[in-house]
Amino acid sequence: MDTGTILYLLSLATMTGLYAILTLGLNLQWGFAGMFNAGIAGFFAIGAYATSILTTPPAEDRFGGFDLPIPLGLAAGVLLSAVLGYAIARICLRLKSDYLAIATIGIAEILRLTLRNEAWMTGGNRGIAGIPRPFEDMEQPWGELCFLLLVAGIVVVLYVAIERAWHSPWGRVMRAIRENEEAAEAAGKDVVAFRAHVFSLGAAVMGLAGGLMAHYLKFIGPDATEPILTTFLAWVMLIAGGSGNNRGAVLGAGVIWVIWSGTELLTQRLPPDWQTRSSYIRVFLIGLLLQIVLQRFSHGLLPEKPPRPPESDSG
Amino acid sequence: MFRSFGKLFFILAAAAVFAMPAARADDQVKIGLLFDVTGPVANFVPPMLDAAKLVVDQVNAQGGILGGKQLATVVADTQGAPQTAVDAANKLVNAEHVPIVVGPLLSGTVLASAQSVIIPAGVVQISPSATTPALTTLKDHDWVFRVVPSDAYQGPVLAKLLIDKGLKRVALTYANNDYAVGIAGTFRAAYKKLGGVLSADLQHDEKKTTFRTELATLAKNKPEALVLIAFAGASGVTIVKEALEGGFFTQFVGTDSLRDKVLIEQVGEQNLKGIFFTSPSSPPGTPSMDAFEKAYSAAFQTTKDKLFIQQVYDATFLAALAIQKAGSLDRKKIRAALRQISGPGGEIVGPGDWKKAVDLIAAGRKIDYQGASGDCNFDKSGDVAGVIGHFVIENGSFKQVGIVTP
Repeated sequence: MDTGTILYLLSLATMTGLYAILTLGLNLQWGFAGMFNAGIAGFFAIGAYATSILTTPPAEDRFGGFDLPIPLGLAAGVLLSAVLGYAIARICLRLKSDYLAIATIGIAEILRLTLRNEAWMTGGNRGIAGIPRPFEDMEQPWGELCFLLLVAGIVVVLYVAIERAWHSPWGRVMRAIRENEEAAEAAGKDVVAFRAHVFSLGAAVMGLAGGLMAHYLKFIGPDATEPILTTFLAWVMLIAGGSGNNRGAVLGAGVIWVIWSGTELLTQRLPPDWQTRSSYIRVFLIGLLLQIVLQRFSHGLLPEKPPRPPESDSG
Repeated sequence: MFRSFGKLFFILAAAAVFAMPAARADDQVKIGLLFDVTGPVANFVPPMLDAAKLVVDQVNAQGGILGGKQLATVVADTQGAPQTAVDAANKLVNAEHVPIVVGPLLSGTVLASAQSVIIPAGVVQISPSATTPALTTLKDHDWVFRVVPSDAYQGPVLAKLLIDKGLKRVALTYANNDYAVGIAGTFRAAYKKLGGVLSADLQHDEKKTTFRTELATLAKNKPEALVLIAFAGASGVTIVKEALEGGFFTQFVGTDSLRDKVLIEQVGEQNLKGIFFTSPSSPPGTPSMDAFEKAYSAAFQTTKDKLFIQQVYDATFLAALAIQKAGSLDRKKIRAALRQISGPGGEIVGPGDWKKAVDLIAAGRKIDYQGASGDCNFDKSGDVAGVIGHFVIENGSFKQVGIVTP
């Protein structure tokens, strides 16, 4: 394989990793606690903009450019998303499923439009360019490889942490709340507090995905936070992969992103006369393949497997 | 059954992704078109792809490229968003190995694809339509070009015009929007460099209803004119009106944002003596423009109501010329070649003159491509000088009285 092909595969894997983080965040909220968050774009945007503003060199035409180290920027994005997620949770969590969905859409859109229009802070429609990327000074493809390893490392850490939470008593309470809120409440669990925790945690993970994405793209603008590429895609990935199953969430991110990106390599091979139409054919192909995946694997590629309680707990 | 279907699906997908690049043809030279085919500007794109196709057809009809090879294009869709722009650029540059990229169209998709993929890979990129000033200052190692002037280009032109008119001490005020802040910044720097003095320099909030306090500050020290960068419909007309009523200023200078019928209607031509404007304009009927107009209309009916087709044509033609000049698909040689074929200086080549250009290159002559959208001479940041007109008010409407070059 030549360097070019390796670079493309690295980018495919990196994007998969970034979306896997986003999907894991959603799995916390939906897969675990059954909370329908339709405002992923908002948390993604908060994480992305926070780290962009903090880590870029000083800029004249907008707020900040503090030139801070990247880990600090990412941490700030995560923290901000978590706090915001918690605040939203406290306000909206008494709302049941579909009402929560509407509330989260609304809040995410308010956030997104604020970021788009407050040009003094975010550069408005012009966005923020020149965001540093870790390892970008290294030769190709090593810099790309190191960034992929960083993203993959984060996915692994998150995966292990969430799996452990899933098998812990905390995870059992979450599933109990998801399956039957009244029963969980009757068993003495503080449902609202638990839901606020998990919502905030999921939001933090989404903020992390947004932040890493900004560093990967080296640019963030309002178009990067459009719901189609954040909210919608994360949902499709989770449902295709298998909600409630962390391995499914990661696999779903991989399959859907390969479909999203790889279809173009097929349509680019169409005869020249079809070329002006190839992009539209590709969008059709994406839809068709999503249909097939969702039809054939209605519980996801890897359906949820509730853990058996260990012997000591069952007595 | 699920298992076997899943296996089959993955094998097919993997096979498709990995096996396809092997089908590359050696007798073709492919230019990458990184366009925002779907997404927010989708409806503008088909005529642009036609413009690129026109270049391909002309080149192939006139003997092909690099000694008889066929020119071809390969389209990648940014979907109008940074994430997918980076992905699409990766496919063009790394999977398709294109030697040069034309596009994308939006400032956001250009910035993301350039910084994340195209500059690190070392490929020349020519955007037909991105106007963000951020492209000028981008650390691009000379890989990124555009054939449309930056939003900020008007500033230096405005400065030059003021100095030419003998206005060396003026007051500046500009609205708090992207457009005005951008132009004001470049105007300020250029004006000072040319020896002009800004007696006052004030940003105003365009949503305010009165500007008397601002005007009092601006009029201190008796400047010769007020340079007003604001939209007529927002703060522009109000400021002109109040300046006249309060006797603060009589001489105004504006940009295209103030060059609006509303100004004449609400203030009256008799009160606006001596006012003049700068505004982006098009070169009046150059041979290059006519040649493009004719060729495009012959192939695709009309050029009417089709945006940026001239720029797409020029960018694609320049890309083909650069490859021909470089004599190979070497990306570094193409970067050097692009500056050698775009001028200034050398034999003039226009749209459709492919055979002529190839012969000139073969004879070792320098060529200067004059495009349908302008002269396409790149400055050191890879930008082109736009065509900026000098406008005045005459008989109740705006009239262009000249072209200004900085």
